[in-house]
Amino acid sequence: MSKLPQSKRFGRAAIATSVAAGLVVSGLMSSSIGTANAAGPKTGGTLILLEHTPKLDHLDPSRIYTGRDLAFENSFFIRTLVAYNPVPGAAGAGLVADLATNTGVPSNEAKTWKFTLRPGTTFEDGTKITCEHVKYGVSRVFASDIITDGPGYLQQWLDLGKVEYKGPYAKDTAGQAAFDKAVTCSADNRTITFNLNKSVADFNYLATYGVISPIQAKLDKGDAYDLRPQATGPYKIAENTSNQLKLVRNPKWSKASDSIRTPYPDQIVMKFGLDEQVMDQVFLNDTMYNAVNFDGPLPANKDEFFQNDKYKDRRINTNDPYSRYLAFNVKKMPCLEIRQAMYYARNAKAILDYAGGTFFGGTYSTGSISPLLGLDYEPTKVVGPGSPDFVPTGNVAKAQALMDKAKTVCPAEYKHATVDGIVIDVSQSVTLQDTIPINTAAWARVGIKVSYNIIKSGYYSTVLNPAKQSDMSNSGWGADWANASTVIPELFTLEGGFNLCQNGDDPAYKDFKAAVDVAMKTTDRAKQAAMWKALDKTAMERMWILPTNYGKSQYIWGKGVGGAFFWQPQGTLAWGKLYIK
Amino acid sequence: MISYIARRLLYAAVILLLVSMAVYAIFQFLPFDPAALTCGKNCRPNLIAANRVRLGFDKPVWEQYWLFLSGIFVGRDYGVGSAAFTCPAPSLGYSFRQNACVTDLIKQALPVTLSLAIGALILWLIVGIGLGILAARFKDSPIDTGSTVFVLIGTSLPTFVTGLLLLIYLTLKNNIIPLNFDGYISIFDNPAKFFIYFLLPWITLAFSFSAIYTRYTRSAVIETSGEDYIRTAWAKGLKPKVVLRKHTLRAALAPLTTMAGLDFAGLLGGAILTETIFDLPGLGRMSLKAVNDFDLPVVLATTLLAAAIVVIMNLVVDLLYAVLDPRVRVG
Amino acid sequence: MTRLLDINDLHVTFPTEDGDVRAVDGISLTLDAGETVAIVGESGSGKTVTSLSVLGLHNRKRTRLNGEILVHTEAGAVDVVSCNDEELRKLRGSAVAMIFQDPMSSLHPYYSIGNQLAEAYRVVSKASKSDALKRCVEMLDLVGIPEPQKRVKEYPHQFSGGMRQRVMIAMALINNPRILIADEPTTALDVTVQAQILSLLKELQREFNMGILLITHDLGVVAEVADRVNVMYAGKVVERGSVDDIYYRPLAPYTMGLLSSIPSVYGKGTGRLSAIPGQPPSLISLPEGCSFASRCSFASQVVGASCATDAPHLIEDEPGHFARCHLALADRRTAGAKFAAKGGNA
Repeated sequence: MSKLPQSKRFGRAAIATSVAAGLVVSGLMSSSIGTANAAGPKTGGTLILLEHTPKLDHLDPSRIYTGRDLAFENSFFIRTLVAYNPVPGAAGAGLVADLATNTGVPSNEAKTWKFTLRPGTTFEDGTKITCEHVKYGVSRVFASDIITDGPGYLQQWLDLGKVEYKGPYAKDTAGQAAFDKAVTCSADNRTITFNLNKSVADFNYLATYGVISPIQAKLDKGDAYDLRPQATGPYKIAENTSNQLKLVRNPKWSKASDSIRTPYPDQIVMKFGLDEQVMDQVFLNDTMYNAVNFDGPLPANKDEFFQNDKYKDRRINTNDPYSRYLAFNVKKMPCLEIRQAMYYARNAKAILDYAGGTFFGGTYSTGSISPLLGLDYEPTKVVGPGSPDFVPTGNVAKAQALMDKAKTVCPAEYKHATVDGIVIDVSQSVTLQDTIPINTAAWARVGIKVSYNIIKSGYYSTVLNPAKQSDMSNSGWGADWANASTVIPELFTLEGGFNLCQNGDDPAYKDFKAAVDVAMKTTDRAKQAAMWKALDKTAMERMWILPTNYGKSQYIWGKGVGGAFFWQPQGTLAWGKLYIK
Repeated sequence: MISYIARRLLYAAVILLLVSMAVYAIFQFLPFDPAALTCGKNCRPNLIAANRVRLGFDKPVWEQYWLFLSGIFVGRDYGVGSAAFTCPAPSLGYSFRQNACVTDLIKQALPVTLSLAIGALILWLIVGIGLGILAARFKDSPIDTGSTVFVLIGTSLPTFVTGLLLLIYLTLKNNIIPLNFDGYISIFDNPAKFFIYFLLPWITLAFSFSAIYTRYTRSAVIETSGEDYIRTAWAKGLKPKVVLRKHTLRAALAPLTTMAGLDFAGLLGGAILTETIFDLPGLGRMSLKAVNDFDLPVVLATTLLAAAIVVIMNLVVDLLYAVLDPRVRVG
Repeated sequence: MTRLLDINDLHVTFPTEDGDVRAVDGISLTLDAGETVAIVGESGSGKTVTSLSVLGLHNRKRTRLNGEILVHTEAGAVDVVSCNDEELRKLRGSAVAMIFQDPMSSLHPYYSIGNQLAEAYRVVSKASKSDALKRCVEMLDLVGIPEPQKRVKEYPHQFSGGMRQRVMIAMALINNPRILIADEPTTALDVTVQAQILSLLKELQREFNMGILLITHDLGVVAEVADRVNVMYAGKVVERGSVDDIYYRPLAPYTMGLLSSIPSVYGKGTGRLSAIPGQPPSLISLPEGCSFASRCSFASQVVGASCATDAPHLIEDEPGHFARCHLALADRRTAGAKFAAKGGNA
């Protein structure tokens, strides 16, 4: 997924539990396509998605980065080379071929990837999809001043040598030449080859993102493409106004070329800008049968939805993809004992109870990797439940012992923590006024002073700036795809895009980095998984971050909607499988 | 008279210029970097720096301001190469968040807010003034007491409570006013749907305003009724209706034009709460989203628009008042 | 002489939380055509209340009227106290007209003079707009406003105080009323303007044979224009007579006190002003006996009755000259003798 979006409330986006959480989603329909028996999926009707913001961030496939919006797009109108399998459970994290004939062919130690397009796929205007279209789509992300907000992996991994490429809009001969070498099309315009500057064993997971999808250059309007991207899926955009986004059937979509999608409803309408309380009332009162809440219910209404049996077939409560933590700026806080003391002194239970307890709010973190990553997930037994010293309300004795040790072994940092105070970056939020006192009191139990630097806007661009980051920064992270290769390297290596902990000078770093490099090349998935687990453990032992909890989120829908289930990799409902009863 | 109007318009232009400069300056001093906002999650400092140049944020403030200002008259170009486009005059900038020229956004949102404001204005004037006159005429009777209760409730209930209550009980629970599906419909396209669409928002807004106007009208009518010239009117043998309408009301309600004009101007800036509850795509909701997104061009444009409306309404109200009250006429 | 107005034992009471305010406590007076009857008294004596009741201009919900106010019109007599709203409305502006104290505030600021004059005209005469306009110009000319065709379109704020009062007079007389009630018509005006207005009133009265009921506290004005005078105190008439009777042969102690307190332009001029000591009584709790007793310097000289407990009645001490006092007539004549010569306060 992505970093925790700052505009979303505590614990918003949803993902499926695989095994551990044990909540069973009722009303599951199997993904058998086309079986229209009496109790099964029906074709027809209008599916309504209620969204409270006045506009989705982006519709341009090159610019979408949130799981929910990716799932939405991929379900209905944007096809990618490969896609996730829209089935419930862990199987949903598996890749299936979409526009390509298979899930990609790596070679050269996973530095080269080839995908071959299957025949019969077209844009909504009838133009046949070719390799050149996909190549053009890829090139757009380099115009990063216009095509903003998408994942930055292509810019990092494509091998352009030392040349900077400005994208296809400006005149950039040198850059364009370098790009044309990194991404090539076969003579028959059906096979695309990516040349990467390092081994990326799971590059094909990136291909589930719209950044690698076909776009026609002549129809590309730059920034304005965001309003009306061309469809390659079973639906196309009929209307996109400040009030609603309407998708209607795309007659040019060929069912024969698409084994994934089952377009049941005749129309999909997303209504924008509704007040959140109003939205909840719609579902509480059954005002609209065919609607789904595109966000989750308000905390105030969660009890009603989840305790009243009236709604038992229309709700889901599970883990979301985010692993929340406080990053230590290891450069400013090099003393391990103090970092550990802060972990043990923290009153995790109080904060979690405030967020809704373990039913709604989340579960205690056992590492930096979320349980949703199935294969790569294992409690580290260093932090959280399963570890010997973890106490939900805080292990004050152990923390105190660590502080006493720190007094002698790192006196300067000790003084900083107890006299000057630790400064924590947080993003502006309404819950701060309640959570700050809880945390402050918890750390005060072992003499640690904290003060909060509340950042009102541009949070991540501030804390990611080493010059501006304080001693600690509040954060969260969701894997971009179902592989911890999008977690461990991003968070804990200097080349990672989200290295808040700035751990380059830590004594354990050198070996850690070497191990990461090995894992990135390992195409044996099981072996790779074991490596990620070990690296997670090391990161916890070094306490480069203070892990807090794995989030939870909820979804609700109207009683006329069927087929709802969790789509684990995207952390939302599988929108494309919904039908109107 | 013409020279008076011309002079006032000139002052208005100066004020608007100052307002635009002020808003621009405020944004410069805000602790965030507009270039950083354009960059997504994986934002590296070198990328931010590159964007800053490409989007023109590295230019000096006055140059950026000048581009903005001149854009109003001649339009403004954005982008390079095949992704280039123009926002034609009057260009108020381009919103990267909404992928649209700000002027177009305003053109879309303005009719909604206008419909909301005008309808609410008419409704609250009729209810407020009507009830106030009744309360004054039947002072200390049950009607008067009833109006006092109405005033108390109307001035205490916040708009969002009224709006939500109406929405929940009339639409969501009982479907008396059906939930609107199709968004804003112009009165010219479908008057019936237009009225249903705006009915609850009008009532919500009018409720609190009419309470204020009832209270004002009641005391103004009572006070004016005690004036000497009203006594003269009675002494002349005029019929009670004439004394009320021609003499009392005209004097009592003249200040209302100022009140109503300025309240209306404020509403045109966008009734944020009402628009949010009823999902009206008007200026209020647009500016709220822009503030949350730090979308400078939209914030700038809506601020300027609101300021322009207030300034112009001030002029209109002054002129209207001169029509009513000969003592303030110029020349 | 045609009788125009008969007020018989008028009581005007305002019920309040603290008790009944007896603003007018039993007044009778008459007005004939061609004569000017003045009602004189200090603030709170009930003179304005009396004048307003003739036209029923009180808030009917808040006022209790007892007694009779007979207005004699060509069609017969109307009792203002007991008639209905419509009959009352018909009287106003046609049989009885009124001008008020403050011309600044008595004209509607938003309408032109012509508009307001025409309105007064058309409510009675049902004339057309153009005829009404002609009449307005006529009236303005009559009351001495220069350039009436131009000024008829102007607004009240464009007129000076004196001009405005002339306009008020024009408005009052536009329907040829038989009775004109003038409530302190010159109090708000300069002395020179005052004289002009008063002489205008006198002239118009001669021309139209109106009866004027003049309310004032100013004895100088009374001397100029009144024929007969009623002196009011605490809601009652304490003396009534011709102007000469009142000024040169006052028979009520209160009247004597009033006359004594007029500052004189003649005479030595270094004497102190003599004021009547004390305060008028509260109209809610009027004393049992004579209302003036507590301030009267003659109370101690009274024999045969107690001023404190016996209320004196209005008695015709001389033909046409009434006074309300227990003191023997001879004693009062002696006391009032000093006013025989001009000047009063020697």
